[in-house]
Amino acid sequence: MSLRPILIHPDPRLKKVAEPIARVTPEIEALADDMLATMYDAPGIGLAAPQIGVLRRIFVMDATREPEDEKNPMVLINPEIVLSSDDTNVYDEGCLSIPDQYAEVTRPAEVRMRWLGLDGKTHEQDFDGLWATCAQHELDHLNGVLFIDHLSVMKRQMITRKMVKLKRERARV
Amino acid sequence: MSERPALGAAGDGWPDGLPRGKVRPILIHPHPDLRRVCEFAGYLSAAEQQDLAGDLLASMYHVQGRGLAAPQIGRAHRVFVMDAGWKAGRASPLVALDPEIVDQSTETDEAEEQCLSIPGQPMVVSRPAWVTACWYDLQGKRHQRQLTGAEARIFQHEFDHLDGRLIVDVT
Repeated sequence: MSLRPILIHPDPRLKKVAEPIARVTPEIEALADDMLATMYDAPGIGLAAPQIGVLRRIFVMDATREPEDEKNPMVLINPEIVLSSDDTNVYDEGCLSIPDQYAEVTRPAEVRMRWLGLDGKTHEQDFDGLWATCAQHELDHLNGVLFIDHLSVMKRQMITRKMVKLKRERARV
Repeated sequence: MSERPALGAAGDGWPDGLPRGKVRPILIHPHPDLRRVCEFAGYLSAAEQQDLAGDLLASMYHVQGRGLAAPQIGRAHRVFVMDAGWKAGRASPLVALDPEIVDQSTETDEAEEQCLSIPGQPMVVSRPAWVTACWYDLQGKRHQRQLTGAEARIFQHEFDHLDGRLIVDVT
């Protein structure tokens, strides 16, 4: 298990549609382990494979709110939304590929998701609250969509300019 | 996905000398304790006031709120905290003890409000557009300020909690 570097926006790999995973292999299991470790380390509540430069349809998440509560890591392979509510929710989202920038994004409040689990079986589950927001945010990554793509052009450009500057500063050190 | 770090975790903006506080569970409407008229905070010792304010701020930031009143964590004292600017990156925590509204505009504003005790049910509430508010801080100093915009709205919303009023009543 190892921590992987997280790509920072803007990066062309974050804008690509990721490839489905045919079956769960030891490589995929190792990838999921690395992704969970990287996510908890960041710290984040979700991480999608493209964020570590792997263009495959897999993400991990754990939206457990209480720090005292037990961890609840989830690994979703080839995830899809089969149903989403008309009710919407607004959440102040952030992204590990867009450090320190937060903005309110409106999304369906509840979603039913279907995915392939590490056990090789198809799972289906309803999510609400922060779990629903996080699942949709991560699924977006697999389609090359970032949370800032849900904002106005001006806000997106402002954040992108900050990120370009951040990357330049990081490259210099 | 990442979450905005809670204030206090990063250390920025947390009032000097105030204990970090514990995240307390928030009572959900309908709950009889949300309907009590609260006691004056002046009856509490300075240490009790500080602990309560610390818990309120920690709990408010934890659930990403902009205001939280003592009855919402089951404490019937006239104390609330608010921070109208932290979500926009300008943290400005305010601890109000024994607050009063001494003047208000006749002109009203309508806006959607959310209450942490009534999750998922935003309501359009009409309130005076500005208020002249008074309160005591944790050092016992009295403040008087004219509040407008989000600050006025949050102050009035939290103030209502201290008399057992919720947004389901004022509309």
